[in-house]
Amino acid sequence: MNRNLRLVWNGFIPENPIFRLALSLCPAVAVTTCVKNGLLLGLAVLFVQVFSSCTVTTFKSFIHPRIRIPAYVVVIALWVTVIDMILPVISPDVYKQVALFVKLIVVFAIIISRLELFASKEPFVPSFFDGLGMGIGFTFGLCLTGAIREFFGAGQLFGYDILGFKPLLIMILPAGGFFVIGFIMATFNWLEYKFTGKIPTSGGGH
Amino acid sequence: MKEIFKITISLTAVCLVAAIILGVVYAKTEHARKENEERIEQQTIRDLLGFKEGSGTKAPADLKVYAVYRYVLTDSKGRNSLGYLLPVKEGGYVLAEIDLDGKPGKTYKIEGDAAKLADRSARDAAVKAALPGDIRAVYAQTLFVANLGDKRLGYVIPGVTQGFKTFIKLMVSLDPSFTVTGIAITESEEDPGLGAEIEQNYFKNQFAGKTLDVLKELKVIKEPLPSDYLAALDPAVAAKRGLTKEQVKEIKEKHLKDDIYALTGATISSRAVTTGVKDTVRKFVYRIGILDDAIKKENLHVAF
Repeated sequence: MNRNLRLVWNGFIPENPIFRLALSLCPAVAVTTCVKNGLLLGLAVLFVQVFSSCTVTTFKSFIHPRIRIPAYVVVIALWVTVIDMILPVISPDVYKQVALFVKLIVVFAIIISRLELFASKEPFVPSFFDGLGMGIGFTFGLCLTGAIREFFGAGQLFGYDILGFKPLLIMILPAGGFFVIGFIMATFNWLEYKFTGKIPTSGGGH
Repeated sequence: MKEIFKITISLTAVCLVAAIILGVVYAKTEHARKENEERIEQQTIRDLLGFKEGSGTKAPADLKVYAVYRYVLTDSKGRNSLGYLLPVKEGGYVLAEIDLDGKPGKTYKIEGDAAKLADRSARDAAVKAALPGDIRAVYAQTLFVANLGDKRLGYVIPGVTQGFKTFIKLMVSLDPSFTVTGIAITESEEDPGLGAEIEQNYFKNQFAGKTLDVLKELKVIKEPLPSDYLAALDPAVAAKRGLTKEQVKEIKEKHLKDDIYALTGATISSRAVTTGVKDTVRKFVYRIGILDDAIKKENLHVAF
């Protein structure tokens, strides 16, 4: 498989930010009460991740290694703020729904961890695909969690009534987020054990 | 020692570049963002008055919405009074001073038209220029008075209330007899899936039709929303169940004196909105009474 494609796939399943790397779990628990929220936040993270990865990999020779963390934070904050300013102009309706989440992205662990582990060492093209893969993986994780929670907590999917009743209200309460993410992580580990025969170590190696 | 200079300069450069980019983006988007916000506000007001976009009832040409700005005036001795910026029939605006006991004071002529005064900083400057130097004016609130031709259609009042985490901004529309005709949540940061449900029709439409007397005694009850009431409150559900307009009206009438049914898992947000609506309306009714008296006493030719 082409290396770039492998990088995207890597972020999607083998190093999925939420279920394998266990990064950025707070937003994953906080906003995944329905699929739509998960999708919107996931897309916002996807953009910030790709833009930040590209910026850092382009200017990595200018950034002094001892101040790389503050410099990365400035880069992430820059892109988050730019999106926060441009989005209400392009599409006020979408902005109204994601405004809450966009500002949170500055402090997401997944983004700075990818800048530190990948974009600061690799050239432009792989960094772009790594950012893309991580963003897609994050979006996938949020959507999956959101779908399970919305289905069992509210009996809906994407806001459409499916069951017509609420089987397990606890699922859309904060505690439900921990349950769902825990169960999905366990499933991921079980699958890995089934296919490779190895007991999974803590994901990502950090 | 040399390294520390390098680090400092490097980090400063990074921040400077980021600041410049942000500044440029801000300058480019600021105008469009403000315009969008204003457009959304105007749309919300028209929605509340019953002229929803796409619902078939277009806003008639003689619908006029007048903005009335309330200022708090403080003179050099620290005495407070209220200043209402009112549109005048002949054009232009006046600032009418009313003291805290409801006695009208001086009126000042304000330069500028409605479009100019809609902008906060331009308005503050115009008010400051018209007042004598020793009086300080602080902007407090905007009220909207809607007329259909010469007839009073209603009022739209913005309000703010303490929500679950932070403030909830809302708008309440009243008819001339101060019965609530609708509410809109303009800004809130309640939890998605729980408190954020305050924006749903089945919650906020519960306020519509509550008269001033009912509103004064209004409470939040932790009971499940009756199924027929839910259908009447949410047009989408009503359409699904095939309810006619008459049936919807009948069900709404039956539940008119009901308290507000709290949202599942979001009692605090439900209470916050209810208190917010009650406070907003109570204060407004008190203020508009005083304002109307003052307008009559002073014989001001206001536009509405």
